[in-house]
Amino acid sequence: MKNKNLPSGTRDEFGTEAEVKETIQNKLFKTFRQRGFRKLTTPVLEYSDVFQPLSAENYRPYQLLDEQGEPLVLRPDLTLPVARVMSTTGIELPVKWYYGGDVFRVKKQLSGSYNQLTQAGIEIVGYKGLKADWECLEVALAGCQDMAIKNVTIELSHAKFVDTLIEQLALPEPTKESLKQALFDKDLSKYNQLSEPFERTPYSRFISEWPWLFGDFDKVMAVAATLPEIKPLQPIIANLKATAAFIHQLFPKANVTLDLSIPSPQSYYTGMAFRGFTDKSAGYLFSGGRYDDLLTNFQNVKTSAVGVAFDVDALVERTNFPDDTPTALIFFNADQWAQAEATLAEVPNSTLCLTDNFEAAQQLAASTNSRLIDLTKAGEKNGTN
Amino acid sequence: MERIKIALTKGRTEDQVVPLLEAAGINCEGLRNKQRRLIFDEDPRYEIILVKGPDVLTYLNNGSVQIGIVGSDILTEQENFQYAMLDLDVGRCRFVLASTKDFNPQAHRRKIIATKYPNITKRYFKGIGEDVEIIRIEGSVELAPLIGLADAIVDIVETGNTLRENNLQIFAKLQPVNTKVVVNRLALRQYQPQIKALIASLQRADQQMVQAKLIKE
Repeated sequence: MKNKNLPSGTRDEFGTEAEVKETIQNKLFKTFRQRGFRKLTTPVLEYSDVFQPLSAENYRPYQLLDEQGEPLVLRPDLTLPVARVMSTTGIELPVKWYYGGDVFRVKKQLSGSYNQLTQAGIEIVGYKGLKADWECLEVALAGCQDMAIKNVTIELSHAKFVDTLIEQLALPEPTKESLKQALFDKDLSKYNQLSEPFERTPYSRFISEWPWLFGDFDKVMAVAATLPEIKPLQPIIANLKATAAFIHQLFPKANVTLDLSIPSPQSYYTGMAFRGFTDKSAGYLFSGGRYDDLLTNFQNVKTSAVGVAFDVDALVERTNFPDDTPTALIFFNADQWAQAEATLAEVPNSTLCLTDNFEAAQQLAASTNSRLIDLTKAGEKNGTN
Repeated sequence: MERIKIALTKGRTEDQVVPLLEAAGINCEGLRNKQRRLIFDEDPRYEIILVKGPDVLTYLNNGSVQIGIVGSDILTEQENFQYAMLDLDVGRCRFVLASTKDFNPQAHRRKIIATKYPNITKRYFKGIGEDVEIIRIEGSVELAPLIGLADAIVDIVETGNTLRENNLQIFAKLQPVNTKVVVNRLALRQYQPQIKALIASLQRADQQMVQAKLIKE
C-alpha cells in the first residue's frame, strides 16, 4: 500500500462519532418501521441516466464505466432510485418506503466539503392528498424531537408559486425569465431594475418586497394577501396555510416560516416543499416535498409521491456527544470464559481484557483509566489488589 | 445578538469598500489601523475578517461567515452558488483581451492566451467560436505577450495605465467587473432582519457615493 491518503472530500469515522451516527440511523429506522414503512435498499452504483432529472450544479456525480462502456455513477441522490424501482416493478400502490445510505457528490476540491453524505428518509407513493405531505412533516419534526434537537425552524415553500404568479404579470416572456432569475439569485441590483414597471400597480407592494418574502409565516402571508385575486394561486395558498396550522397544532414549539421567493428545489417538484434547520446549523437537517410528475408506474402512468430525507451528518453535528463513561476491564483465565461472559453481561461498559498476565492487565487498566475486575484473584494472591 | 461575520477581500477591494462600510455606519477603526490583525470586531454588530479573494467563497460556502464582499471576477471564475445580492459601484473595472500592437485577432491559427482567469477566458473564446490554448499565470500577466509566452492576455483593467506603460493595447472588451455583496443562502434565513438592514444601508451608502462622485466630476 503506497498511497495511504484518503481521496479529497472523504473521511473515516470512528469511536463516539461513528457510534452516535449509528444510533441516530437506528432510531430513525425504528420510527419509520413503527409507522408501517417498508425498507427499500438500492445499490450504490446506478446508470447515470437514472439521475438525469437532477440539476447538475450541486449533484456532480462520481462517474465510471461498466464493462460495456455504459456510464455508471455512484448515486448522488436516493429519491431517483426509488423512482426507478417504481417504474420497473409492478409494486402495488399506495406504498410507503424508507431508506438509508450514503450519497456521493463531487464538491470543489480542497474546499473542506465532504463528498460522501449519509441520508435516511421516506417516500410515500400513491397518495394525492395533503395527508401524505403531513405524514412526511410529522416524521421530520418528530424525528428532530427524538434527537432532542431544539429550536427547529421549518420552512415551507411551493414549487409552483413563483411560476404561477409570474405567469400573471404583464411582461414580455424574456423579461419574465430575467425577473424570475434575479428573484431566485436574490440579485437585488438587477431585480430592482426589472421590477420598476410594477410601481403603482396592484402588484407593487408584493413585487417590491418579493426577494425578501421569506421568514415569519404570518408576515409573509400578509404581504401575499395584498396581491390581486389570482385563481390558480388560491389552492397553493390554502394548502400552505392548512399545513402551517397542522404543524402549529402538533408541534407548537416548531417555528414555521414561509418562503415565497425560492425556486423549486429540483425541477421535478410539483407541490409543497419544506426543509428544516436550526439557528446554529451550517446546513439543513431535513428536506423534502411533493413530486407528482417524477414517478411513473410499470404502465408508465404518473404517480403521486412525497418524501423527506434527513441529513444524518447534520443530525450528528447537532447531537451532544455523551461523555466517555469509565469502562471496566474483565481479566480472567482462559478456563474462566463462561464466568467472564456472565460478568460482561452484568457490568455495564465492560469489555474482556485479553492480556496474558495480570501485570499487563493492570498496565492497560491504568493507561486507559479503567476499573479492573480480576476474576483470577491473581491480585489478591500477590497482595496488590 | 450574535455578530454577523463578514469576509472582506483584502487589498484593492478592501481599500474601496472600507469608506463604503463607514458611510453605512459601520465602525472601521480597526481596518483603518490594522497592523497585522486579520479579525476586526470594533463594531459590536459585526466581525470582519480579511481574506484573499478566492477564499471568500470557501468561508462563505462552509457557513463560517455569513457575508462575503468580493469581486465579480472571482465569483464567475469560481462558479458561485450563494446569493450575490448587491452590485456595488465601487471597484468597477473590466476584463479585456490585450496584447502588443502587432497582435492580429483575426489570424487563422490556434492562439495562446495567458491569464489568471482560465474559466472566464474559456467562456469568452467559446462564445466567439474560437478554440485557444490557455496558459495560467499567477501574476504580472502583462509580461506574457512581451516575453513571447503567449499571443495575448485576458486580464482585469481599471484605468488602463499598466497596459499603456507596458505598450499593450486593448483588442476586445469582455465582461465588466465590480464588487459584490454575497450572502450565504442559509444564513440569510437565520439572520434575516440583520442582513436585510445591512444590505439596505450598504445600498444607500453606495448610491450616495455614486451621487457624490457625479457632483465632483
